[in-house]
Amino acid sequence: MAEVHVIGQIMGATGFSESSLFCKWGIHTGAAWKLLSGVREGQTQVDTPQVGDMAYWSHPIDLHFATKGLQGWPRLHLQVWSQDGFGRCQLEGYGFCHVPSSPGTHQLQCPTWRPLGSWREQLARVFVGGGPQLLHGDTIYSGADRYRLHTAAGGTVHLELGLLLRHFDRYGVEC
Amino acid sequence: MNPKEEKVKIIAEEFTENEEDAAVGRRKKKVQRQQRKKQPPTAGPEEMVSENPHLGPQQEPGQEEPKTHLLSTTARRGPRSLPPIPSASRTGFAEFSMRERMREKLQAARSKAESALLQEIPTPRPRRLRSPSERESETEFGTEPGKEVRRTQQEDDSQNYSKVKFHDSARKIKSKPQVPPGFPSPEEAYNFFTFNFDPEPEEERSEEEKAGAKTRGGADQEAVSPGQQDEEELLDGREAEDLLLGLEHMADDFVAIRPAEYESVHRWLQKEKEMLFVPSRLTVPTYKKLPENVQPRFLEDEGLYIGARPEVARTTGNIMENRLLVQEPERGWFGDDGRILALPSPIKPFPSRPPVLPPGQSTAAELETLYKKAVKYVHRSQHMIGSGDPSGNFQVDIDISGLIFTHHPCFSREHVLAAKLAQLYDQYLARHQRNKAKFLTDKLHALRNAVQTGLNPEKPQQSLETTQKTIKEYKAEIWQTRRLRDAEQEKDRTLLKTIIKVWKEMKSLREFQRFTNTPLKLVLRKEKVDQKADEEAFEAEIQAEISELLEEHREEYEQKMEEYRAAHQQWKAWKRAQRARKKKKKHAAEEPPDEETEEAPPEEDPGKPVPPEPTDRAVLEQQVRERAAQSRRRPGEPTLVPELSLAGSVTPNDQCPRVEVLRREDVRRRSVYLKVLFNNKEVSRTVSRQLGADFRVHFGQIFNLQIFNWPESLTLQVYETVGHSSATLLAEVFLPIPETTVVTGRAPIEEVEFSSNQHVTLDHEGVGSGVPFSFEADGSNQLILMTSGKVSHSVAWAIGENGIPLIPPLSQQNIGFRSALKRADAISSIGTSGLADMKKLAKWATESKLDPNDPNNAPLMQLISVATSGESYVPDFFRLEQLQQEFNFVSDEELNRSKRFRLLQLRNQEVPEFRNYKQIPVYDREIMEKVFQDYEKRLRDRNVIETKDHIDTHRATVAKYLQQVRESVINRFLIAKHHFLLTDLVVEEEVPNISSEGSGILGLSLFKLAEQKRPLRPRRKGRKKVTAQSLSDGDVKLLVNIIRAYDIPVRTPTPSKFQQPSRTSRTFVEKHAASPSTHSPTHSADYPLGQVLVRPFVEVSFQRTICHTTTAEGPNPSWNEELELPFRAPNGDYSTASLQSVKDDVFINIFDEVLYDVLEDDRERGRGIHTRIERHWLGCVKIPFSTIYFQSRIDGTFKIDIPPVLLGYSKERSMMIERGFDSVRSLSEGSYITLFITMEPQLVPGESVREKMSVMLKKFDSQEDEKLLQAAEKFQAECALKFPNRQCLTTVTDISGKTVFITRYLRPLNPPEELLTVYPSNPQATAELVARYVSLIPFLPDTVSFAGICDLWSTSDQFLDLLAGDEEEHAVLLCNYFLSLGKKAWLVMGSAIPEGATAYVLTWEQNHYLIWNPCSGHFYGQFDTFCPLKSVGCLIGPDNVWFNIQQYDSPLRINFDVTKPKLWKSFFSRSLPYPGLSSVQPEELIYQCTDKAAAAELQDRIEKILKEKIMDWRPRHLTRWNRYCTSTLRHFLPLLERSQGEDVEDDHRAELLKQLGDYRFSGFPLHMAYSEVKPLIEAVYSTGVHNIDVPNVEFALAVYIHPYPKNVLSVWIYVASLIRSR
Repeated sequence: MAEVHVIGQIMGATGFSESSLFCKWGIHTGAAWKLLSGVREGQTQVDTPQVGDMAYWSHPIDLHFATKGLQGWPRLHLQVWSQDGFGRCQLEGYGFCHVPSSPGTHQLQCPTWRPLGSWREQLARVFVGGGPQLLHGDTIYSGADRYRLHTAAGGTVHLELGLLLRHFDRYGVEC
Repeated sequence: MNPKEEKVKIIAEEFTENEEDAAVGRRKKKVQRQQRKKQPPTAGPEEMVSENPHLGPQQEPGQEEPKTHLLSTTARRGPRSLPPIPSASRTGFAEFSMRERMREKLQAARSKAESALLQEIPTPRPRRLRSPSERESETEFGTEPGKEVRRTQQEDDSQNYSKVKFHDSARKIKSKPQVPPGFPSPEEAYNFFTFNFDPEPEEERSEEEKAGAKTRGGADQEAVSPGQQDEEELLDGREAEDLLLGLEHMADDFVAIRPAEYESVHRWLQKEKEMLFVPSRLTVPTYKKLPENVQPRFLEDEGLYIGARPEVARTTGNIMENRLLVQEPERGWFGDDGRILALPSPIKPFPSRPPVLPPGQSTAAELETLYKKAVKYVHRSQHMIGSGDPSGNFQVDIDISGLIFTHHPCFSREHVLAAKLAQLYDQYLARHQRNKAKFLTDKLHALRNAVQTGLNPEKPQQSLETTQKTIKEYKAEIWQTRRLRDAEQEKDRTLLKTIIKVWKEMKSLREFQRFTNTPLKLVLRKEKVDQKADEEAFEAEIQAEISELLEEHREEYEQKMEEYRAAHQQWKAWKRAQRARKKKKKHAAEEPPDEETEEAPPEEDPGKPVPPEPTDRAVLEQQVRERAAQSRRRPGEPTLVPELSLAGSVTPNDQCPRVEVLRREDVRRRSVYLKVLFNNKEVSRTVSRQLGADFRVHFGQIFNLQIFNWPESLTLQVYETVGHSSATLLAEVFLPIPETTVVTGRAPIEEVEFSSNQHVTLDHEGVGSGVPFSFEADGSNQLILMTSGKVSHSVAWAIGENGIPLIPPLSQQNIGFRSALKRADAISSIGTSGLADMKKLAKWATESKLDPNDPNNAPLMQLISVATSGESYVPDFFRLEQLQQEFNFVSDEELNRSKRFRLLQLRNQEVPEFRNYKQIPVYDREIMEKVFQDYEKRLRDRNVIETKDHIDTHRATVAKYLQQVRESVINRFLIAKHHFLLTDLVVEEEVPNISSEGSGILGLSLFKLAEQKRPLRPRRKGRKKVTAQSLSDGDVKLLVNIIRAYDIPVRTPTPSKFQQPSRTSRTFVEKHAASPSTHSPTHSADYPLGQVLVRPFVEVSFQRTICHTTTAEGPNPSWNEELELPFRAPNGDYSTASLQSVKDDVFINIFDEVLYDVLEDDRERGRGIHTRIERHWLGCVKIPFSTIYFQSRIDGTFKIDIPPVLLGYSKERSMMIERGFDSVRSLSEGSYITLFITMEPQLVPGESVREKMSVMLKKFDSQEDEKLLQAAEKFQAECALKFPNRQCLTTVTDISGKTVFITRYLRPLNPPEELLTVYPSNPQATAELVARYVSLIPFLPDTVSFAGICDLWSTSDQFLDLLAGDEEEHAVLLCNYFLSLGKKAWLVMGSAIPEGATAYVLTWEQNHYLIWNPCSGHFYGQFDTFCPLKSVGCLIGPDNVWFNIQQYDSPLRINFDVTKPKLWKSFFSRSLPYPGLSSVQPEELIYQCTDKAAAAELQDRIEKILKEKIMDWRPRHLTRWNRYCTSTLRHFLPLLERSQGEDVEDDHRAELLKQLGDYRFSGFPLHMAYSEVKPLIEAVYSTGVHNIDVPNVEFALAVYIHPYPKNVLSVWIYVASLIRSR
């Protein structure tokens, strides 16, 4: 019956090779968690930074969970996409991080990665855009054996999340 | 034994221990050999003693080398046994060597005169130095005396003995110097050795050394070098030199040369044989593996399932068997069949750790990546942003290969037989293939064998009981199997017989009719059998059966016997007892007879049991034989194999009789095609193919259906066309939706049967369909066959470019639909992807009681077993939740019970009741339970039809239906709402542009600056629009500007014919009227102008807020006032969706203010004024809020809805007419009011949503021709370009969401017969009546029901069924009626006041046009200025659409002549001729008469409800009902209905006055269409009749409901207030 508020924002991203970026995000929780209000997933606008190289989205996240256990603590998964001059979108990176478990405001930095693909695909990516994407998006946050995947590092997504916990002490969870 | 020897031995022992494992045998041999060698010199009895000295040295050199090389080993071993030693010993060693050197120097320096001890030193040194490890091991040895004891003793006894002895002595010696146990004591040892061993015999030592050298040269030579290396490592270079030097010196003394030791291979093998066991590779004979006297038993042959054994190489198996036999002979490793017991497959079916693949190779499914091109987003298609799920194109391939009729009306008799034959033959083939009889026979054999083996007591170890049990089971099985087999055989046989019979029939028919129609030919092939063998087999079979039967019978018999015996025993006992009693009775007879009666009644006679008859073998045999003869092939009888071929020839046409020729021609004329329906929408059709003579049609077409949604149904419709006539639907074939595993190329061709129930009688040889016919000449034995056939098809999912099947995601699948298919198949019941969910699968398996032993299910079971054991195939290693249960804080129930959470969730889900909750309490206890009551009630009542509000059930169901439609649409809408367009988020000011037209003309606005200001002609400025989000209660106001009114009814003086006007009751006005008493209204022209005839004021009520204007005077008052009414959105939700669905109306009521003088006393008249103000309702205008919202302002003159009878008032119109005031107005009598209504602030109507949805709706497929749709789009675009404000409509959306061309809605439809007969001779009156009927159908704006989504047009029959619709439906129905009445009628799309964009109906009367308002039933002339239709966009006829391209669009100023192409742009023209679109409307409408009784009941209930309401509205006053008046009114209402509320006023007034002379009466009838009770109440409330608070007021209320066909009800409500005038 404990409650968790996740209130915050996806600030933006740095370190990506492309400039016009947007981000698709989602929150995955275990079975014990129940979303009381808010939206679990969303997509930010496309930001083309004019000054500096950080793309700012300032995309609000506002979720309210009820939980009956600690298992499956909310996990954030992110997909950073870029939009090129033709308005085409391609994947820049997958990212994943846990929502912090202590109350308060947290600055998170979520590094991202993207599948590399074969050399042919890499070449195609350089010239015509596009790129390999995961067929199963849940790989981003589930602990599948990723060791077979060859990835390239993307940039970092910056998040600012505020956590409000309620009634956790009632069940012996100190925070 | 001297200590020296001891020491040597001990060292040797140390070696032995070390090397023991490897060289036990060898050493033993060596020892033996040594013994042999040494034996001659030593004497026999000395052996024991001498052996040891020999042995010791012998062994020492032999193992010295190993020892040196073992140095490292010991060093290694050191820490294991005793950690501190190695380091200590090493330092000790280093220390020792240093000291030694010092000592050497010292010794060299000292004089030789010193003791002999010093000379001795070099002698032992080399020995020591040559093997420093020796000392090392010494130290070690010394430190671990206990370890020695612990070691296992594998030595010979003698050795053992000596060892122990040595041990003890060694310990004795060692214990003294080594007080600290771990301390390395090389020096002490050294001293100890040197001192103690001083008098050592030289020879022995030399012998030792010799032995060592010899061995060094021998087998262990290679071990030397490492040993030396070790030495070098350990010693300093210099010291090493010394060592080597020393070695050279001493070599001769110690080394002895011996021949290499060799042991022959022979001996080796022999030795090994003793030690080792090598299992043979040969096959073990079965008898060895089984217990004695047991025959191997093969379970598989007995019909039991045995899993597949793991594959093991035969030799490996043999080795294993051999080994098991030797090693553990009693363990029972072997099964009944003599093979090793084995699980089906003990190997894990998947690797527990997936192999590491080289990069670039295929990866696991969940890690698969797909190269995706950079894509442009089509935003509209994506509602939700999933995490990268592929959207869009899915494809189903439907391959329709052909069609075969199993019956067709054109079948000749022969065809019927042929079809039957073919069917039977198919059946035969199928049976033959399965060959169940054979299978069962085999099984029977196996079982019998099993019983045979089971009966023989070959397995003594098995308990007798279990054997008996199994045998019993077997027997039961045998019985079962036999029965099954018999049945199967009999079936086979009868089938064969039937085939032959049908064939014979066919042959005779062919002969009889003298021609053949079908090429079918049956050949029976006889297969000879070996008569004798056959007979034997048959006999054996029969005998076996008989014996079994006999046995069964015997058992039965025995059982019966048992019973019998028991019964008999009982009977006997009873008998005895009886006899005893009788005896007693005899005794008793002598005693008084009355005792006899007292005696208990004799027990019932159990009857003598009859012994069961033993079965007679002969009888049994007889039975068996009979059965066999019936069901089985007789022995020796040849097996018949039928073969059907199409080799026969068909008689050509010219040789057939005429009827047959006719039939064939008919067949030829027929052709068949199939329509493919996907989710009940036609998507494609096959080409039309001619029916072949064999009634087969080959299509061979593959349809690729690109789909978006999960298919709900796939249907094929079989159509048949005869000649050139239209196609008739024969049958529908429902195809199963393919499983997700079925992809193109893998789908098998399947056949689906269909049949139709049509009745066809033909006049030729064809037998027809659904009609009886007979093969017999006398017509007996009739057959009725229906058209039927089979479609062979295959349905599969297409595969995309990269091999991915194009299957919609599972989430789209409708679960409910699948449940029907459950049980049928595991895969289909849970879906392929459900396989991932193993629990589900396991559950299904247990539910459906799968046979776990069935080989067919084996893989499935294995999968399940793997799954349920916790390992699923997909490695799901991230198991955060595996211990969920244990760590839960609370249970699910408790979580769900939380009211707060529930409330939060419901709010989040935007459930209407909770959508606008602003704050939710923090604690559960603060939430009332009743918060959910409404919601739960609604959920509960969803399927319960509530009849309380709706009174009559039909309307209740319709309301429910509409409610459901509304809900589903709103749900869709809610989804769409969360999907924003750019315009929703970004408000962009348009950039001013010089060139463009419209508001932002820079150039023109510059001119505007220079424009003259005209203060007397003010213009309205546009206001800024406000988005609805930021609003709250009280922010929004409704502004109503009441400007003026025309033609308000004026008061008529109370006629005083029947009554003397009393002073008190005379109105204020009347007093001023000149001569009130005798004037009838028609003579009102005598009123002096300027007299106050009426004092009207306007009251606006909205959401129960009431505002009113000041009172003006005269029938044409001018108020010019602005009223401000607050607006409250439902539930405080100011979102567009909610605002669009506001159903409230703005009521604008016009009242007359009447002042009554209440002065009782005339004398006071001069001094004070005592008047009472009364207000009389004159009429009202009702404007729905949604109209205001969508139009953002309403500006215009509206007709006031004035009740047909307004007592005490009359229109001035007669006066007007007489004066010839306005000839136009005369056509539309009535009163008018000019209004301006708007909202403050201006709200943005939800147009964007509307557009969005309409775009979405356009995606629904249409049945229209693609060309037509394109033309329509083009037409619309062209029109919009020319006149963007004019409405142009070519296609509309029907109720199922399909786009339909608009002209299809227009078709002459019959109005109810009842209406036509009223005025048979007056077409105009009939037209009005029909219009009235249409207007009586309740109006329900689409915008309310389908909140802002789009217009859905229902067809007229749907409209009449629903009894609700908006302008379009009304207009379409009215137009259709007019068309059927023979009028020229069009649908007018335009805009009107107050509805906005709407549909009217235009008719052409003899010489003028009439415009009909379908919702009110009123009609207007074309030139009527008060016609609410303000602009005309387009006209729609049954066959064309005309767009208005004239300069003006007001109906007053346009020409309705559509034949002029300059004025009207027509859709279908010469370039695009009208293709003859069929109508979507039904052929005719069927009207049910409305139940009069129900209407009457409804009437009573409404009256009751209204009366209660009026009483409720007057809480502080007594409400009296005047029954007399009520009954009068009730009589009067039907009259009103009959005359449609016209021309009855005068009669009515007269009547009323006659009856209610004493009362001052004010009241009026209201007329409404009936939809619900609520609007009626609202209407009554708005009249304000209840507001009178005169103390002695009385009320009258009467309701009349006139039922029209189709449950259309016209409601009349008469409300009146009466004030006693005396």
